[in-house]
Amino acid sequence: MTIQMFEKPLGMRDDFPFIAKKKAELRASGTSIIQKAGYDLLQTPTLEYYETIGKISAIADNALFKLLDSQGETLVLRPDVTSPIARIAASKLLKEKMPVRLGYYSNVFRAQKREGGRPAEFDQMGVELIGDNSLYADAEVIILAWNVLKKLDIKSSRFVIGHTQLLQLILQDFGLDQEQIEKVHSAFVSKNSVGFESLAKQLPIEPSRWESFIGLMATSTVEEWQQWIDPHNAKQNSLFEDVKKLKKILDRSGLSDAVTYDLSFNSHMTYYTGLVFEVYGAGSGFPLGNGGRYDGLMKQFGLQVGATGFGLRVDRLLEIISAVPEEEDHTLILFDEQNEDLAFDRALELREQGARVTLQFAPAVMAVDSFSGLFSNVLRLEGAN
Amino acid sequence: MDALTIAMPKGRIFEEAYELLVKAGYDLPKELDDSRKLIVEAPNENIRFILSKPMDVPAYVEHGVADIGIAGKDVMLEHDRDVYELLDLGISRCYIATAGMPDTPMNEVTPRVATKYPKVASQYYRGKGEQVEIIELNGSIELAPMIGLADRIVDIVSTGKTLKENGLVEYEKIVDITSRLIANPVSYRLKQKRITELVEKLRKQASL
Repeated sequence: MTIQMFEKPLGMRDDFPFIAKKKAELRASGTSIIQKAGYDLLQTPTLEYYETIGKISAIADNALFKLLDSQGETLVLRPDVTSPIARIAASKLLKEKMPVRLGYYSNVFRAQKREGGRPAEFDQMGVELIGDNSLYADAEVIILAWNVLKKLDIKSSRFVIGHTQLLQLILQDFGLDQEQIEKVHSAFVSKNSVGFESLAKQLPIEPSRWESFIGLMATSTVEEWQQWIDPHNAKQNSLFEDVKKLKKILDRSGLSDAVTYDLSFNSHMTYYTGLVFEVYGAGSGFPLGNGGRYDGLMKQFGLQVGATGFGLRVDRLLEIISAVPEEEDHTLILFDEQNEDLAFDRALELREQGARVTLQFAPAVMAVDSFSGLFSNVLRLEGAN
Repeated sequence: MDALTIAMPKGRIFEEAYELLVKAGYDLPKELDDSRKLIVEAPNENIRFILSKPMDVPAYVEHGVADIGIAGKDVMLEHDRDVYELLDLGISRCYIATAGMPDTPMNEVTPRVATKYPKVASQYYRGKGEQVEIIELNGSIELAPMIGLADRIVDIVSTGKTLKENGLVEYEKIVDITSRLIANPVSYRLKQKRITELVEKLRKQASL
């Protein structure tokens, strides 16, 4: 294969100045909200071991960028941020400070097989709240994600909330074994109603409960969940009470119209163990982010604590953020040899006053008119003044 | 009422699906005067139809430029797209099968299979533990076994007429195909009420 001079590896993108600028603004306003909520920002390495983070990350193996280090160990380019943060939190340093609140803005790498245009490197912004089992932690991260979206002025953002563990218990009530439950899960993840119904026909569901079983896929409020809760099952009831309390908190925080409670909502990420959610917004055909409780991931690092968090896809946010075409003040000083010292002084002076100033030696500019057109003010210091 | 954009495959499936929507009580324009139009508006229902190649419908829906779409299961099996599959419409019923010249075993050294569905075909033969070489063609698949390009073809069969006319016979049925109603995951959440309503109305009409 011959590589053309301007080609980039599949899925890699250049950020042109206007995108880089927009991104920097997004990063600044997003992380400021996160920090104000009491989260400390951190940065994890770009390279990790395949054996640890690569396997734990729950990103498909063929989406990992793998390379070898000089010892012959397989490394991966950071495929997600949650697992490295879980590793850090499980390390001795932070264990004593639980619960810890950590935030990040970081690029992640996922190889793309389909349609060259999809990004294989993109930024994620999010938080992890580790060491808190309570529903208040779940509520906190959802509200925080909501506040970040609000700050970014995302229109009609919507959360879909499900509960992995509660769903598991309810499916068990239908008399399904683990293998059958996993099949149902995967139909739920891809919201494949057709596949679910034909799968249901092969499952040992009592005819009297058929309607109820099919109905699992069609809920949108917490009240609707009630019909599947077995009043004699203490665990189910306590989880359901948690969801109800969570709804109360979210309603009080202004999210009442922005949340769908879908009992069948689920994630393909197997480490989620409790509440899971996904975030959508008008203008993008793809989810903006997701999150949930991942106590199972912490367990893999040998720590029995609760953890929850969210991650937002910066590339998708960028796409739908309304571009504010603000007229920026940008002064151009064109000078020649004769006025060199004058121009330097003037630039310094203006910059000290807070202006943005480009200093340019005039004879080096090929097309003065079109170049000057890029600036809001032009100051020409040429010839004898 | 949220505006709804529906991606439809051009041709027979469009007509069948359009009729289904009318039967389900949607107030759509009676006469589709110009069949070459790519966008058809139904202002009374605030619905817009995009007419595309059948193979492209899931792409429009995945990217969210169409909220929902009608796509053959064959297309969905071949192109793995992130869309929600909401309803089996039961129209355009057919199946994917293997076919070839009568009484011919597969070549033992390099069995070749010609198809428009390389992914479906390769999955099928791998699942049976047979190693075959897949040749992707874009049309007139029946030619391949007739002129010795391939031992078998994997293709859509609806009546079997085309196979017969070309002296081919069907060997194994791979999977049943019908048209499905699919939805973009974000549209499904943001316009859930309207989309579920449509699903319920169509479910009653779907000839299952």
